[in-house]
Formats: sequence, structure tokens, C-alpha cells
Amino acid sequence: MSNQKETTSFVIRFTQKMYQDDQDETQIQWRGNIRHVQGGEEKRFSDFGKAMEFIQSKLAELTLESLEDKPAEEQKGILSKSFNLWKKVALDAPKLVIQTIKDPMAQVEQIQNQVKEVIDQNIEPEINQWRSASKTDFQELMAAVNKIAGEVKDLNEKVDKLSNKKKK
Amino acid sequence: MAIPEGLSITKILEKKSTASLQIETLGSFEVTLNGNKIPDSAWKRDTAVQLFQFFITSRNARAMHKASIIDRIWGETNEKAGNRNFKAALHQLTKTIEPNKINREDQNFIIRQGLTYRLDTSQVWMDIDALDDLIIIGNQCMNDQPEEALVAYQQAVDLYRGIYLPNRIYEDWCADERERIQVLVLGAMMSLAKLQLSRNPKETIRLAIRALQIDPTWEEAYRLQMEAYLSEGNRPLAVKTYRKCQQILQQEFEIDPLPETRRVFEKVRG
Repeated sequence: MSNQKETTSFVIRFTQKMYQDDQDETQIQWRGNIRHVQGGEEKRFSDFGKAMEFIQSKLAELTLESLEDKPAEEQKGILSKSFNLWKKVALDAPKLVIQTIKDPMAQVEQIQNQVKEVIDQNIEPEINQWRSASKTDFQELMAAVNKIAGEVKDLNEKVDKLSNKKKK
Repeated sequence: MAIPEGLSITKILEKKSTASLQIETLGSFEVTLNGNKIPDSAWKRDTAVQLFQFFITSRNARAMHKASIIDRIWGETNEKAGNRNFKAALHQLTKTIEPNKINREDQNFIIRQGLTYRLDTSQVWMDIDALDDLIIIGNQCMNDQPEEALVAYQQAVDLYRGIYLPNRIYEDWCADERERIQVLVLGAMMSLAKLQLSRNPKETIRLAIRALQIDPTWEEAYRLQMEAYLSEGNRPLAVKTYRKCQQILQQEFEIDPLPETRRVFEKVRG
């Protein structure tokens, strides 16, 4: 289970505007609004990079808050790890959004590969721990598996819809 | 388009007076049981209110496992503490909304099956469900039955007294529902403002101003407000509205108004 103090959530709203420009060509514009749930702050953006900066600043605050009691040297090390993790997310996330819009099927393939990678790296070595699992542990695992199965089903439905739209 | 079977404005409004439990979530949280408002003091502990609001928020989902509920609401790291919290909250919740329950067969609002729980909404009237249904009617009638659409949207907009569960704005389990409702309401306000433009432009102006209080960058609201001022013969205010729109969009997004808005402005300038 997660701890509320380690959780930070964002609600992002995208509004799509399509219009004809002076040359009578169809143009598309995206407007966004991102809100940090736990802090209540809000930021509007038309460049996705600005939303990423906003998320980064909130994540840095979260990391700093949880490091308050640690020695300065340790704080520095953890912050550096946190920024490296974020750098990867910030570089990949805008690509992910654009690719999803362009080609949902390719995106799913990429997600499947990522899932496989995670399973190979993490699940396999941890499976031995479950051999001596208690009933409660097992129930927790089942609840998690059911949740994932539901999310995968929802994801598949969304992809089908997007693919159908694209075909049309 | 036809209105979905069983859905009518009268039925939606009637259910409010016939349902044994009425729940209001927009702008404030109020629960009325058999005609009597449940006072805040009756809840005893905030976790009971929180648990009830969680059931309301996830009313359309499948029954949820106790462990998931605890995790979503309290994120409790200690299993024992989480279970204790849940048990106490559920006990107080059922005591508050089912005070006269003697037998197990008596009506339950909270349905338990094994370790899963859900809210039974058959005898419950909720402002958010009424809002959803009224907007469905409005959308279905918009083109062919505009008068019916106008009544439905008006009722929906009247129900919106403020954001969803305002006392939980810093909690993430209700953030998506709050966002969904806000976008839905903004859409309904704009549709109603459009319908009112030729009937009552003053009402269009009022609705546009209300939408802009919710989201000051909602460009359609500026456009409708300009059109309404224009039809009232008030060009100076239409120009002022356009300038405000220009300034906000520049400040928040660094963009100009859409050509559609600029065209209305050209019309205003004559």
C-alpha cells in the first residue's frame, strides 16, 4: 500500500481547437490546464513542456519534503537520483502523447514491450518471495492482478476505438 | 434524436422528493434522510463522511474490495490500522444513514458482498446523477426540440451550486469526478447560453460570466457574451469583452483568439 505523503496527483485537461486560417487551411491548436491536486495550484499551457516543468517542480517539492530529516549529503544523492528519473519521464512523456495521437497501435506495442521488460527485470526475481506468502498477501496480490486486468481491458477498448476512428 | 427510454425531466425532478436518501455534492455536501437533513454533528467522525463520499464517487464502478478502498482513501501503510479505520468509519456511516435498521433484511444503502462494498443508488437521489441525466436530455433535444433542451439545461445549470465535494479538493480519489463534472457543466452552460441568445441575450451574458468564473480562458463564453452585447446594441461592452479575451489568452497560453472570435469582433466593429 502507498502512503498519502508519498503521493502526488495531477489532473490535466486538454482542449482541442480546430479552425480555418486565413489561407483556408485547417489548423489545430491544443490548450491545456494542469492542476496539482494536493497543493491546489493550477497552470495553463499551450506547450506541453510547460506542463512537464510544472510536474517536475511539484515532484521536487515532494522529494525535498520527505528528505527534511536526512543529512545534507544524503539529500544531495537522493535528489540527483530523483532528477535523473524525472529526466527520463520528461523526455519520454511528450513523445508518448504525440505517438498515441499519431499511431495508437504502435503505441500499444511499445507499452507491451515495456511491460515485458518490467516483468523480466522485476517480477521473475521476486516470484520466489510469494512461495511463502500468507493468505492476506495472496488476497492482496489477487486484488492487484484483478485491477491490472481491468485496466488492460479498458486500455484495449480505448485502442480499438482509436484504431477504428483512424481507419474511418 | 430521441431521449433515452425512462428518462424525463419530470421523473428526474420527482425522484428528489420520493427517494429516501437525497445527496447534494455540488458546492457543499448535504445529506437528507426521509426528509430530514442529517446534521454535521451526526457523522461523529470525518472518516465516515470520507468513506460515504468515496462510495458516492465510485457509484458507477463495480463493488470494491475493502483493501482497495482503504488504499485509495487513506493510503494506510499499516494493514491493521487500515482495517481498524475502515471498520470504525463503516460502522458510523451505516449508523448515520441507516439509523432505524433492526434486521439484516432491512434496506441497505451500503451493499456488502464478501469483502467488497458498493452504494445501492436505487433509493437515492443525487445531484450529480440528476445533472448527468438532464444534460443527456439537453444534448439529445438540442437540435429538434430546443424548448425541451432549454428546460433540461436550465435545470442542470441550476443544480450546479459549485465544485464537486469542495471539502475534498486536496484528495485525489475524487479529482477525476470533479474535473468530469466541471467540463460537463461548462458545456451545458454554453449550450444554454447559445439557446438563450435569440430569446434572452441578458441570460446569455449572465451564463457566459458564470462560465468565465469557473474557467477564465473558456473562449466560447467570451464569444457568446460579445454576440449577446451586440444584439443588445451595446458595442462598447462587446469590444471590452474581446479585449479581455485577448488579454487572458495571451497571458495564460501566449496565443491569440481564434478566427471565429475575431470574426465576431469584426462584426462588432461594423
